[in-house]
Amino acid sequence: MIITILSAITLLVVAFCYTVTLEGLARKIEARIQRRYGPPFWQNFIDIFKGLTKHSISHGFIFDFGVLMALGGTIATVLFIPAGSIVVFPGLDNVFVVIYLLAIGLLGMAMSAVGSGNPNASIGIGRALTQMLGYELPFMIVLLGVFFHYRTSSLSELVELQISGGSYNAWIMPIGAIVAFISLMGMLGKKPFDTFIAPAEIASGPLVEYSGKYLGMLLIQHAFATFIEIGLFVNLFLGGGRTLWEFLLKFFLVYFLAVIISSIMPRFRVEQAVKFYWKWPLILSFAQVVIVVFAMGR
Amino acid sequence: MNSTNDMLDGIMSVIGQFDFSQVKERLFSLTIEKSRLISLLELLRQSGFSHLSLITGIDRIAEEKFEVAYTLFSWQSGVTVMTSVFTDRIDPVLPTIMEVWPVARFYERDVHEFFGIVFDGNPDLRPLILENWDGIPPMRKDFDSLKYSKEHFPDREYRADFLAEGSDGDE
Amino acid sequence: MSNEQTAWEKVANMLRSRSLWMLYYCTGCGAIELPPTMTARFDMERFGIGPMATPRQADILLVTGYLSTKTLRRVVYSYEQMQAPKYIVGFGSCTLNGGIYYDSYATINRLDLYIPVDLYLAGCMPRPEAIVTGFNELMKKIDRGEATGWKNYQENHEWYRKNQIDALGEVYVHDEFHE
Repeated sequence: MIITILSAITLLVVAFCYTVTLEGLARKIEARIQRRYGPPFWQNFIDIFKGLTKHSISHGFIFDFGVLMALGGTIATVLFIPAGSIVVFPGLDNVFVVIYLLAIGLLGMAMSAVGSGNPNASIGIGRALTQMLGYELPFMIVLLGVFFHYRTSSLSELVELQISGGSYNAWIMPIGAIVAFISLMGMLGKKPFDTFIAPAEIASGPLVEYSGKYLGMLLIQHAFATFIEIGLFVNLFLGGGRTLWEFLLKFFLVYFLAVIISSIMPRFRVEQAVKFYWKWPLILSFAQVVIVVFAMGR
Repeated sequence: MNSTNDMLDGIMSVIGQFDFSQVKERLFSLTIEKSRLISLLELLRQSGFSHLSLITGIDRIAEEKFEVAYTLFSWQSGVTVMTSVFTDRIDPVLPTIMEVWPVARFYERDVHEFFGIVFDGNPDLRPLILENWDGIPPMRKDFDSLKYSKEHFPDREYRADFLAEGSDGDE
Repeated sequence: MSNEQTAWEKVANMLRSRSLWMLYYCTGCGAIELPPTMTARFDMERFGIGPMATPRQADILLVTGYLSTKTLRRVVYSYEQMQAPKYIVGFGSCTLNGGIYYDSYATINRLDLYIPVDLYLAGCMPRPEAIVTGFNELMKKIDRGEATGWKNYQENHEWYRKNQIDALGEVYVHDEFHE
């Protein structure tokens, strides 16, 4: 019991500090790609804490409650991701639980965005949910291939089997790994799929009415959501890690690749994004599942 | 350049009967009385000048008249025709051309706000650009803009009067 | 404007001065000097200053030039939607004393009669080097605790309101489309 609580707290603290530092580092990397200096790498910490010191305005009960639901749901989901040697609930972490709980974060934000009454927020949330239709489909098909191959859907078992089997899923099923990476960029909201934030078009989309403390809480929720999504990818396709440091190193490599690709791309419209996801990634994911079911042993 | 000659011939046949002058190769200007204005504009519109570019006002204070200029443009031939109408400076009234071009509603609103010319038949002569206005229409030549600005918008006081000192030194 | 700050205020002011989010309210011609300042040559993001699209999340309102009465009403409206603590930077000489439009019948001559200004940048327009120096000055002023324009506005609200109504008539924005 004590160990569970301690490992939960450790995982939350590590996830928060590491992800926020990496977000600051991502801004620095983007700046260097654009041939300028960037902000210092602790800039995102300052942004979050400054947001928490400003005064804020509330728009009613649903507005407040939505933010709390988003943050609470995301924190609960973080506890189910195994991070190297820290596994908080061994035996209970199933991939479907994680995907189900991920939806609570988005629904919480949708509720509070609608509760604020600004039409920009409704447009942003509509786009976000439409894009979710796009990227979930190829991702789930590839995941079904992975489950079929290993006959299990528990995250920590998948990690064990990859480490003991000797080769990661990314080498066994490379097409599936690429499709999952493209879906990951849609999940994270990085360019070219960041139409639902779109600062210049719809005034930050769903974040338009949040001020002060709400914004601080939503930035924390965004950091945790990034940790969950990239952690899921690393555990499923890159074998997690035997220790915490291996996990964090692989996390950094995946995030670095996503940042570099996103810093040189423009933005898709939402129907272009969905059309893109339902064309080549879908075809490739079907091909991957066919190969896994019929051509590979086990 | 046969096509240019044909084009100019076509235009001459329309406006040749009026008192016109050719300012540049494709720019003509003519003057008309206000009673024949709408029929002239309708005629010009049907002979190819389908685009109303601008309605603007000019304050001829020496002759005590207002001049209103209607600029028309033809996309087929690239020729601009500027039609002017003169009216009195005291109680200026002009007929509206909204039946010919409905978009003239906004141009006439603008000219009404800045010169004070009333367009007879335009239902919508509210102010367009200025807010909270309490002076004579500002584009008239007997309007003192500096006096209005000093009355309504307080200046910053400096210890020395830089404008007066600067102009004394320029002598 | 007392300069003693408690420890919590010192920490909070340090945090605020290093992460300023700016609402680029590009009213007049001064807005043209902002893209060079934001992009790769005179990089402004290294100070933590970034663009922000909505008034609810911005810290700085940048008023970049002359303000006619029509625009002033909307600027006051946007300023009151921002969350405290907030700072205003008056950009260019038109906000100082009217600039080259000092004798115009439609533009205001002094910005700080209507909203409280923390920093002025003189020039027509100020070059990006001047803008960067000005923002460094603003950051130091916030650190010392002297940039208290928002408190001023709350305490002397009637005086500001009287000036606004003298110039504008009323501060409510009528929606011509819906009325």
